[in-house]
Amino acid sequence: MNNKELNWIYLFISHIKRDILINSRSLFDIVSIFGFMLLIIILFPMGIGPIQEKLDIVSNAVLWIGLIIAIIPSLEKMIQRDYTNGWLDQIATSPIPLEIVLLAKSISHWIIVIIPLIITSPIFAILLGLEFNQIPWLILSMSIGGLSICFIGIIGAALILGARRGNVLLPVIILPLIIPILIFGVGVNESIKIGLSPLPNLFLLIAFSLIYLVISPFISAILIRIAISR
Amino acid sequence: MLNLKNLNIYRGSRIVFSGLNAEIKTSTLTLIKGKNGSGKSTLLRTIAGLTPIEGGEINQNGVNIFHAKEQWVRKLIFIDNKNGLSDELTVRENLLTWVKIKGWDTNKENLVLALESVGMQKYMNFYISQCSDGLKKRAALARLYFSFFNEVDFWLLDEPTNALDHSSYLLLQSLLSKFIKMKGSILIASHDKKSLIKDYDTLDIDKLRNVKTI
Repeated sequence: MNNKELNWIYLFISHIKRDILINSRSLFDIVSIFGFMLLIIILFPMGIGPIQEKLDIVSNAVLWIGLIIAIIPSLEKMIQRDYTNGWLDQIATSPIPLEIVLLAKSISHWIIVIIPLIITSPIFAILLGLEFNQIPWLILSMSIGGLSICFIGIIGAALILGARRGNVLLPVIILPLIIPILIFGVGVNESIKIGLSPLPNLFLLIAFSLIYLVISPFISAILIRIAISR
Repeated sequence: MLNLKNLNIYRGSRIVFSGLNAEIKTSTLTLIKGKNGSGKSTLLRTIAGLTPIEGGEINQNGVNIFHAKEQWVRKLIFIDNKNGLSDELTVRENLLTWVKIKGWDTNKENLVLALESVGMQKYMNFYISQCSDGLKKRAALARLYFSFFNEVDFWLLDEPTNALDHSSYLLLQSLLSKFIKMKGSILIASHDKKSLIKDYDTLDIDKLRNVKTI
């Protein structure tokens, strides 16, 4: 029994490695996500005009919305490719549980897509005139929030497998689930701005991420079993 | 012996099989014959556990395969025309990740032997996106070789000869006969008239089909 569990962890890690390898060979996708987010961050202050106070009100929200909008198009690719090329069929005819593979997929997506955005987020923060004491909290909340967006995204991506115009459907399906992440994510830095402790918002953000962590592999595995049975 | 009892299989709202009964012998090659769209691939996917059955059961030596699905999938290799190869990985990496998810030992020598068995050693470091259809098929068929080191009972192959040239056809033939000698069972869905090896069973689903028209 113990041997079997160890085996699963090994499979989990090797599947994360595989997905990172695949994504690192299409680096252009990741660069384009970064470029898209940068575009949003640059355009927003220009639209607002040269008054710093106006920007201060919205800067946190802009960062978060930029992050969400930039990564939504990439979520579909998480499993779409492996569905069309038949890899999911191979997973389903092997002893590795589908749930473990899907958890590995969302975590590898977080590593390869979200982490680069998080690392560069101080640049975005400076562009929007955030204060330096906010940046560590921004990085922390965005890492947690980004991970839960990946968990939600894989549910959406599994739901639209095989559907035509799925890329239009995906944002509509997952946005309601992202709203709590957005609210508490922005809340972390907003509370620092007005001199309160960021911890309550951060804990709620973590709570939502944990909920999504628990439900996402199971729901998406059910949806994928339906998709490959067609 | 694989017993298909009273199988009902639907795809969406369409009835593909209703009340299908068949027996598939072990240690032989069984050719599933049928017209295009007659449900060859669906039957194969059902036996692989990918498409659920709406009624009936499939028993292997008296044990329902879906009750012990993990044990069942451990002992089979399923390859269809989608191949399950990732464009961004090389031929070798694809085979390696596949062996890993099967939970088998991944030593270098076995990997090279498997690629040699389908004549792919030259193309080992080619990306799948650079491969032709024939090479992709061969890269997928290289997996079969791992049944000689591991416990595998069944090969489920959907149109394995598609896009293969003559020399790879011969390589596939030798793989098949070697597996039969090892008491393995092979199920092939094909519209191809000629069979890959001499002794084989046929399962003509056009004759077996028993769709009640309502």
